[in-house]
Amino acid sequence: MTDTLTTVEQILERKSHPVIRDASVAPTEDMHDRLLELEAKGEIILQRIKGDYVEFPTKYGRMKKIPIEHTWHHKSCGHCGHIPGYASSILWLHRQFNLDYHDPTDQTSCTGWNYYASGASNAVGQAAVMSRNFAAAYETGYFPMIHCGTSFGHYKEIREQLVHHKELRDEVRRILDKMGKPLVIPEEIVHYSEWVYAMRDRFAERQLVDMSKITATVHPACHYYKIVAEDAIYDPEIYGGQRTAVVTALLEKLGINVADYSTWFDCCGFGFRHVLVQRDFTRSYAVLRKIETMINEANPDLTVTHDTGCVTTLDKSQFAAKAHDRKVGVPVLSDAQVAALAMGAHPFRVVQFHWHSTDWRPFLEKLGINWQKYWDEFQGDLDQIRAGTKSGITWEDADAPINLTA
Amino acid sequence: MTSGKVLIIGGGPSGLEAARCVAELGGEAVLIEKRERLGGTPDRESYAKLTHHWRDASEAMAEMSLAVTSNSNVEVKYKAEVKSMSGSAGNFTVEIEAGGVAESLNVGAVIVATGFQHFDPGRATQYYNYYSFPDVITLTDLEKMLKEHNVVRPSNGEAPKKIAFIQCVGSRDRQIGNEYCSKVCCGIASKQAIELRQQLPDSKVMIFYIDMRMYGYWENEIYWPAQEKYHVNYVKGVISEVLKKGDKLLVRGEDTTMSRPMEVTMDMVVLSVGMEPSAGTRAVAQLLGIQQNKYGFIEAGGTGGLDPVATSKAGIFVAGAASGPADLDDSIAKAGLAAARALASVRKVMA
Amino acid sequence: MPTTLENWNPGKAQDRHPEATYEEKERLFLEVKNDVRYKDFIYGCYECGICVSACPSARFYDFSPRVIAQAIAREDVERIYDIITEDIWNCAQCFSCVRCPRQNNPGGLVTILREVSLKNGLQESKDALQGYSRVIYKVMLKGNQVSPDMLQPDFFPDWGPWVQNFSQNMHVWRKAIPMDSIRGLTDVAWRTDRKTLLELYTIWFESGNMDIIKELDESLYDLLTEVMQEELEEG
Repeated sequence: MTDTLTTVEQILERKSHPVIRDASVAPTEDMHDRLLELEAKGEIILQRIKGDYVEFPTKYGRMKKIPIEHTWHHKSCGHCGHIPGYASSILWLHRQFNLDYHDPTDQTSCTGWNYYASGASNAVGQAAVMSRNFAAAYETGYFPMIHCGTSFGHYKEIREQLVHHKELRDEVRRILDKMGKPLVIPEEIVHYSEWVYAMRDRFAERQLVDMSKITATVHPACHYYKIVAEDAIYDPEIYGGQRTAVVTALLEKLGINVADYSTWFDCCGFGFRHVLVQRDFTRSYAVLRKIETMINEANPDLTVTHDTGCVTTLDKSQFAAKAHDRKVGVPVLSDAQVAALAMGAHPFRVVQFHWHSTDWRPFLEKLGINWQKYWDEFQGDLDQIRAGTKSGITWEDADAPINLTA
Repeated sequence: MTSGKVLIIGGGPSGLEAARCVAELGGEAVLIEKRERLGGTPDRESYAKLTHHWRDASEAMAEMSLAVTSNSNVEVKYKAEVKSMSGSAGNFTVEIEAGGVAESLNVGAVIVATGFQHFDPGRATQYYNYYSFPDVITLTDLEKMLKEHNVVRPSNGEAPKKIAFIQCVGSRDRQIGNEYCSKVCCGIASKQAIELRQQLPDSKVMIFYIDMRMYGYWENEIYWPAQEKYHVNYVKGVISEVLKKGDKLLVRGEDTTMSRPMEVTMDMVVLSVGMEPSAGTRAVAQLLGIQQNKYGFIEAGGTGGLDPVATSKAGIFVAGAASGPADLDDSIAKAGLAAARALASVRKVMA
Repeated sequence: MPTTLENWNPGKAQDRHPEATYEEKERLFLEVKNDVRYKDFIYGCYECGICVSACPSARFYDFSPRVIAQAIAREDVERIYDIITEDIWNCAQCFSCVRCPRQNNPGGLVTILREVSLKNGLQESKDALQGYSRVIYKVMLKGNQVSPDMLQPDFFPDWGPWVQNFSQNMHVWRKAIPMDSIRGLTDVAWRTDRKTLLELYTIWFESGNMDIIKELDESLYDLLTEVMQEELEEG
């Protein structure tokens, strides 16, 4: 058959197949095997996923298990402190399907942001913080699911160090003994966006908001796919399996047009320390390398990412750039918030748009959502809170999906 | 039953040379080839000119094939594959299937010449987007177009004005596992760069590399003319990403000479994909029970590397790229050596 | 001084910091080399430049992860000292450089270099972390990196009127969040058990972290140790 195709057609035909990832020729050792070895030697407790899970291929073709429920939510400082709609959306999505989850108070920050910002820690301290959190999850019987991209990347890195260095394991165990906790490593380190990816068909089934008029750009988080590059989801149907799949797959499933742009692989410029005390770098990088390029090449209605720092950087950096007449004005959301909105989550009680700086009103208007109505409703909630007749917003107020475009 | 016959698996340049040598030295050869024609990878992938002597690949393969098919001491079987093997040096029984018909061969020695395959660029550590952008192609894709003297951008059918080569795709990379150097890609890329400048005199060609490796006479016969006569631009700093910008490709790397990041737009990007063991090499190694190295190539070398065609089993030899990256000179030379060793081995047993 | 075979070192950089002795610079390098992660982060370097190509800081600063990997691979203690005092705080710790085909981790090397710099009380690092103390205070004491009450116009003036608006509405907006672990809190991101915090303090003391803080900022150290030790005693 190839004889009847021209040379160019033959070339294009060869390029129309996704890359084949054969786990039997994977260049790295299988982390699963190493963990099993350590468990057999009694060096660690290996926490296994109980209950339903789905398996997806990672970069070298090995399969990764993603639990669907009975998850322990390892929260993100940036979400809970500065973008509460992000965390709320993740849990709201779980609640829509009555999935059992645990939102712990026995959880500390992974402290990775501080570590990458200041270096004011060391390998032992960081490993002990992670292990303490994993032990806390193990004690509840729920399987950890990590909210922040940096926590995810940092924990992957620490897992490598613990597995390869006995002296580090011994030191961490010594510290954990003082608090009566064992050294636990979960069989997978799972990022919530992988769960969103696993659930995307079910989200689409309950989609109430038509998003087919929306063009969005995707910003993949550096710490999700660049640290321990093997452990990230790659899907042959998304980008031919050549780029990490999670956020793009969700958006495509919701009917959004995902547009490519020439700085896709660039960092957002968060910088950990820079975003706090040297924001000229963060701001310049985010606007000049990411936002302006997106606008010039794709003109998106929205940009979507799956990490705390990226949402913060891309959203908050755009204001100052306006003063320099830079091309800005693309609203920024996380994948979880987009999924929640698509399924009818209240824009303010759940998605919490009011914490986002770059103007999101044109985006909601393009979707046909009368945001003013929901804002007024939310202001009513706030008035009641101020008056003391309501202590706060609860899941009761927020659970029910709304036909937002009605 | 002991046999003086030599079985050669693979009808590419190495297998053809081995068969011809065995025949010329008075031995009997059986050559089995998986396809319905001889010529191996240069034929299957429509190579244009062979590096470094600039001989037309079809002509060269035709000449090598004729030397074998016209020699009555060689029996050629097409659409033939090995199914299993038993026995030892001097007396092997090899079950094959040729054109759907099972056959049993009794031979005294085996030469494995099953060759290589090109690295799949989708597995590269860097992001070249081969499966996403029509104008990102490999050396073999370009070779086909050069052969037809019709090099165009697959996206729009127009002749490209700015072309970039990216070296070491799939080689010299711990993350992929192919830590070795594939030997020939610097020479092939430079040869293709010269051909592009000949066929498209208005084009600008850049080669982005980690090291430029053209050994021996390739240096003065290919590298120097590429720079001096054909003005191919060599930039030390390999590319990390290829993205799309409008209808062009954006190529990003570091210009290490200037010590700063750089981005340039190109019409077409050619990936210098390296060598990996072919599926045939992997399968045959398993079936014959001979050792492979950690990259999957057939382990060769004997004691201290003094026997570059010896495998882990007596009576079984390897030639060409089945044992590791090789250029044509290497392959032909080793094929000759393998033929000599194979005949010596069977004659010793039969003596 | 004429070049002789004894003093010829073609890879050696110009001595830009004559105030520190060679022995001092070598001592710092050996501390880096002895880190448990060192061997995982540096192999050989063939100067391909992929790390620089992917690096965001390389586009904004005179910063090169390739130079860092090379300097360390060559064990050029003078150049490494230059890097510690001039370059390490420009790294954005994004780990784009981990695409290195030799599997070097220049970003990881920067992390180790920063730790060594802080442990040894280098002034350049104290300068780089000026204004950062409140974040260390928050994370070590409260177990959260950031909290809503840090969103003040004086800390984020370039984030525009949104910050002003937020800080005025903070208390009521924080109550208007359905998540139980977050609702109503303004001085921390989420609710953390007291026992959890005590475990965190134990980690800081036992892992040697407090010694690092002491070198960085003595008054911060005093404050933190006082509070933490009190809490630990109460149990």
